[in-house]
Amino acid sequence: MNGQLKKCHIAITSFIDSCSSHNLDSLPIVAVEMIHSLFLINHAGDIFLEKHWKSVIGRSVCDYFFEAKENAAEPEDVPPVLQTPHHYLISIYRDRLFFLSVIQTEAPPLFVIELLHRVVETFQDYFGECSETVIKDNVVTVYELLEEMLDNGFPLATESNILKEMIRPPTILRTMVNTLTGTSNFEERLPSGQLSTIPWRRSGVKYTNNEAYFDVIEEIDAIVDKSGTTLCAEIQGVIEACVKLTGMPDLTLSFMNPRLLDDVSFHPCVRFKRWEAERVLSFIPPDGNFTLMSYHVNAQNLVAIPVYVKQNISFFESGSGGRLDLTAGPKQTMGKTVEGLVITVHMPKAVLGASLTATQGSYTYDPATKVLVWDIGRLNPQKLPNLRGSLSLQAGAPKPEDNPSINIALKIQQLAISGLKVNRLDMYGEKYKPFKGVKYVTKAGKFQVRT
Amino acid sequence: MPYLGGEETVKELRRALSNPHVQGDPLRHRSTVLRVIRVMSQGVDVAGLFSEMVKACATTDVVQKKLVYVFLCSYASLNPELSLLVINTLRKDCQDPNPMVRSLALRNMTNLRLPSLVEYVQQPLTAGLRDRAACVRRVAVLGWAKLHSLQPHADIDAAVVNELYSMLRDNDPVVMVNCLRALEEILKEEGGVAVNKAIAHHLLNRLKECDVWGQCEVLGVLQRYRPHSEEELFDILSLLDPCLLSPSVPVMAATLGLFLSLCCRGLPAVSLAALRRAQGPLLAACGSASPEMKFTALCHVQLLLRSLPGLMGEHYKRFFCGYAEPAYIKQRKMQVLVELVNDDNVGFVLDELKGYCTDVSPDTAQAAISAIGRIGRSYSDQCLEILTGLLGLKQEHITSVVVQTMRDLVWVCPQCSESVCEALEGCEDTLQDSQGRQALLWLLGVHGDRVSSAPYVLEAFVEQVRSEMAAGVKTELLTATMRVFLCRPAETQDTLGRLLHYCIEEEADMNVRDQALLYYRLLHCGIEETRSVLQGRRSDPSLGVLIGRPAEPVSQWARSFNTLEPLRQCNAGAESAPQAAPYHLALDPEPSLDLSDPLNPSQDRQETGEMAALHRGVAWDQHRAHEHQDGPAADVPGPSRPVKVDHLLVPVADQ
Repeated sequence: MNGQLKKCHIAITSFIDSCSSHNLDSLPIVAVEMIHSLFLINHAGDIFLEKHWKSVIGRSVCDYFFEAKENAAEPEDVPPVLQTPHHYLISIYRDRLFFLSVIQTEAPPLFVIELLHRVVETFQDYFGECSETVIKDNVVTVYELLEEMLDNGFPLATESNILKEMIRPPTILRTMVNTLTGTSNFEERLPSGQLSTIPWRRSGVKYTNNEAYFDVIEEIDAIVDKSGTTLCAEIQGVIEACVKLTGMPDLTLSFMNPRLLDDVSFHPCVRFKRWEAERVLSFIPPDGNFTLMSYHVNAQNLVAIPVYVKQNISFFESGSGGRLDLTAGPKQTMGKTVEGLVITVHMPKAVLGASLTATQGSYTYDPATKVLVWDIGRLNPQKLPNLRGSLSLQAGAPKPEDNPSINIALKIQQLAISGLKVNRLDMYGEKYKPFKGVKYVTKAGKFQVRT
Repeated sequence: MPYLGGEETVKELRRALSNPHVQGDPLRHRSTVLRVIRVMSQGVDVAGLFSEMVKACATTDVVQKKLVYVFLCSYASLNPELSLLVINTLRKDCQDPNPMVRSLALRNMTNLRLPSLVEYVQQPLTAGLRDRAACVRRVAVLGWAKLHSLQPHADIDAAVVNELYSMLRDNDPVVMVNCLRALEEILKEEGGVAVNKAIAHHLLNRLKECDVWGQCEVLGVLQRYRPHSEEELFDILSLLDPCLLSPSVPVMAATLGLFLSLCCRGLPAVSLAALRRAQGPLLAACGSASPEMKFTALCHVQLLLRSLPGLMGEHYKRFFCGYAEPAYIKQRKMQVLVELVNDDNVGFVLDELKGYCTDVSPDTAQAAISAIGRIGRSYSDQCLEILTGLLGLKQEHITSVVVQTMRDLVWVCPQCSESVCEALEGCEDTLQDSQGRQALLWLLGVHGDRVSSAPYVLEAFVEQVRSEMAAGVKTELLTATMRVFLCRPAETQDTLGRLLHYCIEEEADMNVRDQALLYYRLLHCGIEETRSVLQGRRSDPSLGVLIGRPAEPVSQWARSFNTLEPLRQCNAGAESAPQAAPYHLALDPEPSLDLSDPLNPSQDRQETGEMAALHRGVAWDQHRAHEHQDGPAADVPGPSRPVKVDHLLVPVADQ
């Protein structure tokens, strides 16, 4: 880039003239408003919580959203950005809930979407899950969180560490204590983190057991075609950390093979300069649980496909029924066992029922949603699981045209399928010896086999 | 939500709140207040407790204060007189030694949003700006913005604005960013913060200290800054360069937006380099776990491709759709795939798209078929083969879209017409919807000489014309029958006669009747005149070829980058049309000029009924040509068509 810049520097000399001549005509107008209001809507379409950071906007603004929801086949098909005569509605759909923000003027969409996701993540962090019941049960905390996270529609405190100092997350024990003693979840101390030099870590942390755990979790997103060739595959990885260390530790985490990683993205605590220069993660960690980094591995030859599915799904020309024959087997598992294997087939509309026999695990067919679920469990390489039998079709229906696609869920413990390995973890700045641990898990993300 | 026993609850709570024993015990007092809030959140109207709650506010317990503030802010607007009482407590809290209490009081004071209280709020706000605790200053700065929005027309206090400008130098980065936000809002009328060299450099130097939200904000404001020299510009660009690869997508997008606004006019090469550099993070965002993020990223990829066609050609597999993806993402991905097609990947892309054509969702299937049609402009043979194959499925919605796609394809690729005409045989039985039938009729009319069964298909249509509901189909049928009559008179004469008779004598729709009358009179004028009106152009290859389309300059779209603009055309086909498409080339007004004479000897242009019908007949080609400038015809929603035709009439008639 720098080389590029210099070249242009020489090539273009008349820039300043052209710049000044354009100076007045059209300067971009920057958005001055952010999120005006937030509505929480369940998948049935009921608004169960609303929060206004500026003036109150009537619920009728959501009618545009409900109209779009009517038109969409599935809740997740509702377009994330809608325009109404006076507002923009930007929504995200997570955990079967819509988080709908109302915006009055132009705003950077990526910013708003990211902020909404941050709100959801904070709820998950506080309440363990993000569902309508949980939000309703903790409505006071929810309002208080929203009040702290945004002021006048602008993001204020979104770091979970800082929030937790101001508003304590509810725990079962504390809820009981609260009802007995009448205390609530609000912190009485001044949030020191807001004034500390490192915004993500509060000062004066103390633990008797000093421990740092890292989970390397990888998900395989892949599409495999009929003949078994991989159409596209990538690995989405995250490193989740749970760090409980006294004082201000400075950690350095190094990998055996850091060149594997593409598109890395870090927690703000990671020093990017050192990553660029030495490919090590150097950071002062936040206290507690956080996502240290996320990454992609795209190079197709590096993405191992752990299982294969041999499938034969056919329908008779007469249209009276069909046959199904599925076999699953291990492909590239690096010597580990595949567990929690579940195969899901979305059948064509005309399929009424299935009578099948499984050599391992159990299967269910839901005639309403047309989904066949075969729960295999642990994959035994000596005796490959097989599911076969006949499918019954609606009487008189033509032979289905669309091919069912097969989705696979699986889990491999103690393996990061990309081959990523943590080399060592060092701690500076503190005297004690921490307990360290690394765990690897591989899961299937959007893993799909076409037929 | 009506709540049984609501009044009882309120009474009981009031009793508890005014009970001196409860008031004496901080824990019990707090839990009573908490109960009020819980009841409030269940939808019970607890406004009656306002005065009790105001009293409960005078406490040393921060937690209780917070709870009371929540209550007061929700009900203040209903009790403006009583809120005067609150203000006193709040003002007292603003002097509390605990900064947490001060910031809380200040924030809630400004959140009351009562114009009558403004005069009481100003003094503590001014003091808050100079508070030694950063968290109080953060609140105070934004407080001025809230105050301003309460009285948008009041004069702006110059002293406050100056103070805010000087606070851009505050030690705390959040205070700095909040100052920017407040100034932007207060000075909205004047176009926001005035960014001079000193401010711009200061902001750039402090950029690293801000959190991601603050960085976005600062980068956004800097878009208004114009560097004074080339030297300065390159310094800024080098400083911002690492942010282009920022792990946070919003920051990356904001940085790229700033790059574009700084360079797109003077330094197109630099903006292109920046785009290339940003493609990695953008592609990663396209694979993000959040569908909304994915969608936004895809829309921005489309923008990028307008200036760098074929940029991500080798990454085309990243845009293959997954089974469970929402429909809006699938459609965007297909639009991107169409742009990425090149000689190497066309086979794979078409194979993939072919798979989507039988998707359970008709919308997705339709989008896939249109996408194949668009690729067909460059790779017609392969695409036609797929489209013809799809006709064989005899599925109603698929056939309809395929025929429409073929119609669009023939218009830009005349070499395809031979195979299209062959494929058309027999598909009229599967067509049900009016859009599809209109497309079929247009094809039959224009290429009637090559489709052997054309007169007989038309005859079948004419026989059912009485039960036909759509006026569009009827006008199309009229034109098509006329056109086939011109090339195959013997086979069509009888059909045409019956159709004209029906339309003139029995039809209720004025447009259809007028058009039939027009054709009838036209036939009286002689076969040559009729021919000159009805046989317009059959195609316009100049609109075709998708590959090798000239790249647009970045400045065409730079301003809409990182705004809602690219996301807006959610459902309309967002194919970026070549801006330089020759408008008048497609709009050839000659035939209608010839005609105005024999039909309207009086030159009375006001008599528009027949004229309109006339133009509607011939303007179709022009109309279609016009449409192609905006995007493929299949993407234009049905009802807008006649409007567009009328629109076209104006320039034609005026010549």
